Order: sequence, then structure tokens, then C-alpha cells
Amino acid sequence: MSIARHDNIAMTHRGFSRRSFLHTVSAASLAAGSLGIRDVATLHAEELKRQHKSMILLWMAGGPSQLETFDPKPGTENGGPTEAISTAVDGIQIAKGWERTARQMKEITVLRSLTNKEGQHDRATYQLHTGYIPSGSVKHPALGSNLAKELMSEALELPSVVTIGGGRFANIGAGFLGVDFEPFQVNNPGGLPDNVGVASTKPRYERRLGLLGRLDEEFAQRGGETVVENHRRIYDKASKLVLSTETEAFNLEQESAATRDAYGRTAFGNGCLLARRLAERGVPFIEVRVNGWDTHQDNFEAIDRLAGEVDPGMGALIGDLKDRGLLDSTLVVWMGEFGRTPRVNPRGGRDHYPRVFNALLAGGGVRGGQVIGNSTADGTAVADAPVTVPDLFVSICQSLGVDAAKERMSPLGRPMKIVDGGTAIPGLFG
Amino acid sequence: MIANRCWNRKTPRLAVAAVAWMGSLIGLANGAEGPNPHEVAKAVDARLKQAFEQSGVKVSPVCKDEDFLRRVSLDLTGQLPTPRQTTLFGLSPAANKREAMVDSLLTSPEFGRHWARYWRDVVFTNATNQRAQLGRQSFEDWLAAEFNRGAAWDEMATALLTATGDVYDEGSTGLLFAHDGDPNEVAAEASRIFLGIQIQCASCHDHPSDVWKREQFHELAAYFPRVGVRPIRDGERIVSYEVVSVNVSRPNPGDALRENADRMVRMLDRNGDQKISKTEAQNARFGGPLATAYDRILEVADADKDGLLNATELKNVPAPMMGRQPNTEHYMPDLNDPASRGRLIQPKFFVDGSEPGQSLSDENRRGAIARSMTSPENPWFAKALVNRMWSELLGEGFYMPVDDIGPTREARFPEALEALAVGFTASGYDYKWLLKTITLTDAYQREIRAASGSPDELPFAAQKPTRLRADQAFNALLTVLGVAEPTPRGGGDGPGARFQALRSPRFQFQQLFGFDPSTPQDDLLGNVPQSLFLMNSTTLSGALTAQRTTRLGRILSEFPDDGDALSELYLLTLVREPSKREREIFSEYLASVGNRAEAYEDLMWSLLNSAEFLTKR
Repeated sequence: MSIARHDNIAMTHRGFSRRSFLHTVSAASLAAGSLGIRDVATLHAEELKRQHKSMILLWMAGGPSQLETFDPKPGTENGGPTEAISTAVDGIQIAKGWERTARQMKEITVLRSLTNKEGQHDRATYQLHTGYIPSGSVKHPALGSNLAKELMSEALELPSVVTIGGGRFANIGAGFLGVDFEPFQVNNPGGLPDNVGVASTKPRYERRLGLLGRLDEEFAQRGGETVVENHRRIYDKASKLVLSTETEAFNLEQESAATRDAYGRTAFGNGCLLARRLAERGVPFIEVRVNGWDTHQDNFEAIDRLAGEVDPGMGALIGDLKDRGLLDSTLVVWMGEFGRTPRVNPRGGRDHYPRVFNALLAGGGVRGGQVIGNSTADGTAVADAPVTVPDLFVSICQSLGVDAAKERMSPLGRPMKIVDGGTAIPGLFG
Repeated sequence: MIANRCWNRKTPRLAVAAVAWMGSLIGLANGAEGPNPHEVAKAVDARLKQAFEQSGVKVSPVCKDEDFLRRVSLDLTGQLPTPRQTTLFGLSPAANKREAMVDSLLTSPEFGRHWARYWRDVVFTNATNQRAQLGRQSFEDWLAAEFNRGAAWDEMATALLTATGDVYDEGSTGLLFAHDGDPNEVAAEASRIFLGIQIQCASCHDHPSDVWKREQFHELAAYFPRVGVRPIRDGERIVSYEVVSVNVSRPNPGDALRENADRMVRMLDRNGDQKISKTEAQNARFGGPLATAYDRILEVADADKDGLLNATELKNVPAPMMGRQPNTEHYMPDLNDPASRGRLIQPKFFVDGSEPGQSLSDENRRGAIARSMTSPENPWFAKALVNRMWSELLGEGFYMPVDDIGPTREARFPEALEALAVGFTASGYDYKWLLKTITLTDAYQREIRAASGSPDELPFAAQKPTRLRADQAFNALLTVLGVAEPTPRGGGDGPGARFQALRSPRFQFQQLFGFDPSTPQDDLLGNVPQSLFLMNSTTLSGALTAQRTTRLGRILSEFPDDGDALSELYLLTLVREPSKREREIFSEYLASVGNRAEAYEDLMWSLLNSAEFLTKR
């Protein structure tokens, strides 16, 4: 890092003069070679925010079967009728139905040895979003909110955390980090999200905002000063979004027909395309959700259908990010809250199984074309290189250059790390 | 009117004793008459006044009638007063009209509904199990009825701690169901909610800044190991859940199957195929648990998929993979060996050190902790509620945050809190008594004032403006738009109807505007999706047009004079007349827009989006 670069950072920072701070620091400590670790960390944080790193989480709600996705066991009893296909990387096979993903295998790490203990949807979903086991006394921030707090640029007019697609348990949010990092929900990707478009016309909307401002000022005069100040801050932010040209990100009509077809004109395909458009504009965390993975019955038929929607979206997303030179700064993670039982139940389904499950990671410095970890031949246990939820989260942080051990103060005054425990997955990067 | 009611409906004897010396200090009418709300309110104000005078703090004047009416209606019933109520209240010459209004609000059915919703949010925002949402409505309905019948706070707390039954029928199971009966979570929440003490910080380690030790947390958890939550099935379908007492340490049913597989096949197999069919399992003499759970066992164990169970399959019934192992005792985990069972811990109450005994039944354990927690000798039970209610009504508590009090925390104006807590205990934990007493204080009836921002600033010298809770805001919108509460489609009873409630407009609104009621007001800032909803949602904008069918349209045709129309709109939305300055602002605006209907639509939009509309002032 050079001093000149620090000064550039200073000019974009609002409300606090980084430049003069640095001059003082450089005179006193830098010359002595003793810039404090806190100062370095602060500078590093500023730098991060300029680099527009993003994460796109492809969330398979319900718990995707590892055997019908990226850890197939063809020809075994537990493997069921699922066949395996070759991929762009010799020696790596995944389940049939994931051909578009297979083509991108050079960018992908397949993680087959995730292991955990939570087998209930809500508790596991919470854990796989926050890194923590649920507790009544503290609402842990979702990793996405934590990342957004570290990565978000001050100039961003779009929401810093966006969740595309709804469903149960979709409400894990900023926890104690507060409203600025609460996920912004987009239910139907394609057009403007609910309530972002003005109900009347833009000129009339602006006229109304003017009247609102004058009326609020009256309340401020009569003792409501603090309330009005907060209110104004939120309304400024909301109306900035409403009037922002950046909301064109939500308009998928701007994409070519070929691109839209490649992603697939499905809820998930549209969600992935929107995720790319948001990441391009500096939104640090985007989650795209697909429901329906809780395949207690008719597992194979259900996953055929799901793969038909998820595979093109994910394959196109990774390819598109690469083509646009965004893959290095964008981490794509595919996962759900747990895996499914290796044994097929009498209804042709698979039940909850946290003991072994899988995930995909691509971009963000992740080494492509490799498999990490394996399950046993019958799929009931991890055979090697077990990876826990904290291990995965620490790795995600590392990919995005975020310090996983950074502590935040919870409302009860207890410091909490972004990720508690865990070590980065060996061999994931490079 | 309740003013003349005897507040001493249920005075615990101990409380009377405990109160004796305090009573003489704060001028309580002692004994059979019970504490008089006026006198306790006066004593509280006297304590505050003393401190204000010492520090030279100037108190804010008494608020105007319309401010009081709006404030007290929102606080006691969660509703906005109508323009007609506001006008009549302002015109009434009665000297005691504020107290009379309080009394009348306390007897309205909306009182119970409002506070039931408040506590529903306290309990359910922290639920560790999402399916607990299924118990929200029955919890709210139960509590609303309790509040309206005048149930005392200790009765409700006892019910919440000792409940059993179907979560749809017994609303009092809500707290236990919210945490799946997990002893650690239930102990932590019971302490936080009823005592205001965050003892769970000690669950993993001795807390440096607290007096509580790790063992004391687990001694509290040891009151709850026998709470069970299990599904109620109709065939294979789960139709509800029930909270039960699990007093017999049952081995896992799977263990019995695995161990007795050969014997079971011998006894039940009648056609000699060495397999048990469903019909065979229904053998009246030997079948038992195998018959009732046959389909589920078959599902996990039928390896050869012939629809029958043989001895090998029974021996291989998989052990439950995860989840809490049911246990009738509580064990404190060994931090050095987390996989081990840990150390057996007996129940003991950290506040007074009482120990109910060993190997007690669930009923006795939970009965004991309910008695200990609600005992008049436990000061934190009364203080926690007094502090919480004071904070809810005045915007700030003696202790902040409201659910982190206790002996190591410092209260501001501890004598004022003590006066209220002693009175509340002596009233027999009468919830209405407490709210009435708080609303009678001068502190409650002051005008709002902007915070000076000075660190020496004392609270309660002025009323603090606070953000409306989701249900208050929703009710306010219904009142202003003049529409009845939209109900979800469907109706009827049964699981389907229960899920419907989770799709009602009120529930959706709560999802968007809800917050944990234990959050300090300073942290409640609102958020972008909320303002987007109020500014742009099609539902609202439709109701805000000046058509003949809308409230606004009717006002405009009823009041051709703009001065009158403006007054009516302000009374309706903000429960006050517009100021001279506000009249000027609008008449300028009206002139610049040049279209009456449009200008009023814009005004109505601005009023509903204003900071004041969402604020209790």
C-alpha cells in the first residue's frame, strides 16, 4: 500500500477527513514504522469498499440431495436411478441434469464433505445463514449483512443486501447490525420490486416529498426533532432509491433475448440474471432462493424439475460473470441447509441429513476444477476432509477479503466475531 | 368506571408485610384498602421532582388534552381516537376527565387485545423455532381474554410457566412452544421476560460483569428438563403440537425395537413368513407402539422394500440422527468434553437460593419455579414489569434496556421505581392498577421535548416521542382510512384456517413494521421497505384518492370550506387541529397545485408519511 493510494481513499470518504488523519499518522507513526494495527485495518476496510467485491448465494431451500446434484453414486443402492455425467474437468462427475454447470467446472470447487448436526429446516437455515446456532437472547446477523457492512461503498444507492425469491424462513436478516443491512426482498425478479415504483408520477412524487418535508419540519419544531431527523434519513434513502437511475438494474428487459434465454426465463433464471446486474452495480450480497428441495417424496422427479431451472441459471451466471471479468471479484456459492438421507424411503423420497451434504463454490479467488472432500461409498458419512459450517464461513470471508475474526458488539455488550471458530478450507484458493 | 373499584383484589400476605415500611415512606394507604393509584403516582412524581430540582432540570409542561387522548388511547388500547372523540374530550369541562378516560379505556375490550399483541411480540420475536408462529394466534387470544378479565400478572406468568396442552387450544403454551420446550432457552427467556435478568450470558462461562455463575443458569434450566413438545397426528399428517410433561425417562422407542426384534417377530408373525405386516402389528395383545408407529418405522427401516418388517430390518432401525435426546434431568455440559453428558444439576433459584428438591415431577418443578419467581419476596418480578411498562408508556425505562436489569445494573430514580414496584406488589400484581398509576403521574402527562443531547440529561422531565408498534400503526391506518379490518379469505376452523391467519393483511403488516418490544426506542429508526410501503403501495394509494367512496372523498364533499376540511383531516390523522403555520403551508400548496382534489390527496399522503403519524407524542 502506498501513501498516495491512501490519499485517494480519503477523498471519497464522507464526514471524516481521512487525509488529515493520514498526514498526522504518517508524520508521527509511519516514519517510525509503527502504524497501529487498528489504523491499518481501517485503511484496509476503506480499500475493500472500493473494490466492489460481492457474493451471490444460490440458496436451495429445503435441503438439496447431494446424490442428485454433485455427489452422485450411480450403480449403488443408495444412489437410486440417478446417473452421472462427465464435466469440463477430467475425472469430475456430477449428476445428470446439471449439464450447464458441468460445462463451467473449470471455475468450480465441488465441496462434498460438509457436515453438521442441525436437521430442522428453520434451525439449520438460521445456522447456514448466520454461522451461529439459534439462541433466544441474541439475533445474530446473517453473514450477508456482515459482509455488506464490510464491503458496501458509501455511494451505493441500491440496497446493500438483496434477497430474491421468498418462502419460509426467508426472514433472517441484519440481526443487531440494524436496518441498513436488512435484506431487501425482491419477490418477482424481472421488473421493479414492490413499492419502488411511484404510485403517481415522478414530478408529483417529488412535489409530495416537498410538502412532507415542510410538515415534518413543523413537528420537529414542536419537540419531535430527533424523530424527524431519523425519519428524514430513512425517507431520503428510500426516495433516493425510488428516484435512482440505478433501479434500472431491476429491469431485465435491458438484456438481450439470447442472454435471457441462456439464464432461463424462470424465477430462478431471472433471479440469477438480476443478481449479476446488482453485483455489477456494487451490491455486496445477493441471495437467490429456490424452494422445493424438501424432497421427502418423489425425490427424483422433483429434482429433475428443479435442476431444469437451477442448472441453466447457475451455469449461465458463472459463465457470464467470467465473460465480463467479474468472476474474480464475485463469489458464487450454491448450497442449502442440509443434505438428504442416502437411503431412499418407501415414498421414493429422501429425508433430512445434515451429516453429509455438498456445496459448490466459484469465483472470488476459488480454485476451479477440483473436488474437496468425499463421502463414503454408501454416502452415509464423510470419508475425508470434513468441513463444518464455520469452516465454510471463514473460507467465504477469506475469499472476499473480510476478517472473519472481526468482533462486533452485540446489544448485550458481548463481542461476537463475524464467524466463531472454523478454519479456511485447505486447498480452496490459489 | 374502575376508579372506585377495590384495587386490593388479591393482596399476597407477604406483600403487605414487605410493603409496610415502604408504605409509610411513600404514604400508601395501608392494609385492606390497598395502594391508591393517586397516592403512589404522587409519590413517584415527588421522587422525580426532588431530583429535577437538585439538578436544576426544567420539566416540560402538562400536555394538551388532544395529546393526552392520543397518547393514552394508543398506550392502553392501541387505537387512535376518532375526530369526534377528540372534539368531545377537548370540550368536556370535567376536572377528572383524564382519569375517567383512562378508566374507560381500561375496560374496553381493545385493552386486552392491545397488551396481548404486545406480549405476543415479546415472546415470539425471540422464538428459536419458526413453527412456533402457529401458536401466535391462540397465545394472543388467550392473553387478550386474561387481560380483559383483569387477571393478575403473577397468574399469567404462572400459567405461561406451567402450561400443558395443544398449542392451538391452550394459548398459555406459547412461551414453551416458542422454544420447543428446550430447558436452556426456556430458562433464559423466563428470566429475561419475568425478571428482566439476562442470566443466559452465564450459560457458557461465568460472566465477568455479572454476579451470576454458570452453574446458577443451569440450576434454573433444571426446572424445565421434563417439558416435552410433540406433534399431534391425524394418521400421518401432523395437525398440531402439544406441550406435555415427560416424567418417565423413556428409552428411545427405537432401542426397544432393536433389542427385541426377534421376540417381536415370534410373537406377532402369524402367517409364518418371519415378517410383520401392518395387520399383524395391530395385534391387540402384543402390538402396542409398533402398531401406532408402523408406517413411520416402515418408511425408515424397510430395506428390501417389501412393505413388511423382518427381524433384521427391525434391528437396523436407525437411531434418531439429531435433536435433543429427551431427558428427565438437566445436565450441565462439560466444557472440556462437550460430547459427554455433563454433570447432573438440581433445580435451585438463583435469586433466593431456594431448592424445591430432587427427582421432582415436571408439575412440581414448574410449579416451584412459578411460585419462586412470582413471590412478593422476589423484588425482580415486580420491578421487571414496572420498568417495562414505564418504558413502554414514557419511552424510556428506569433501567435500559428493559430486559437487562438486576442487582449489578444501575437504575435511574431507583426510589421512584421502588415506589411503583411496592405499590404494584401490594395491589396483587394488578396489571390495570399499574397502568392506571403510571398514566396518573405528571411524568406521563408532560409534553414532548427534543432531547438536548447532553450526557447529563435526565429522563422523564419531558415525554419522549416513541415509534408506534406495528399493530398500533395498522389500527391507526384502519381508523384513518375508515375501513374495517380485512380478514383473510377462507375462514372456518382447522389447520387450513390457522395458516390463513398467517396470510392476513395484519400479519403481513406486522412482518414489515414489527419489532422486538424490548428494543430501546433510540434503536427504533424504521427502515426503507417500511417507507416504500407507505409512499408507494398500491393498496394505500388507492385508499388515498379523493373519490366519492373514500374517506378523503367524503370529507371533501362534506366540508366545502378548506379551513374545515383541513381541520377534519388533521383531527383524523394526527388527532389535533392544524397550527396557524400548517394552515399557511397548505393554503400555499393548494394555490400552487391549483386542483383541490389533487392537493388534498397530496396532503393526505404527506400526513400518513409524516414522522408524527408514526409517533406517539
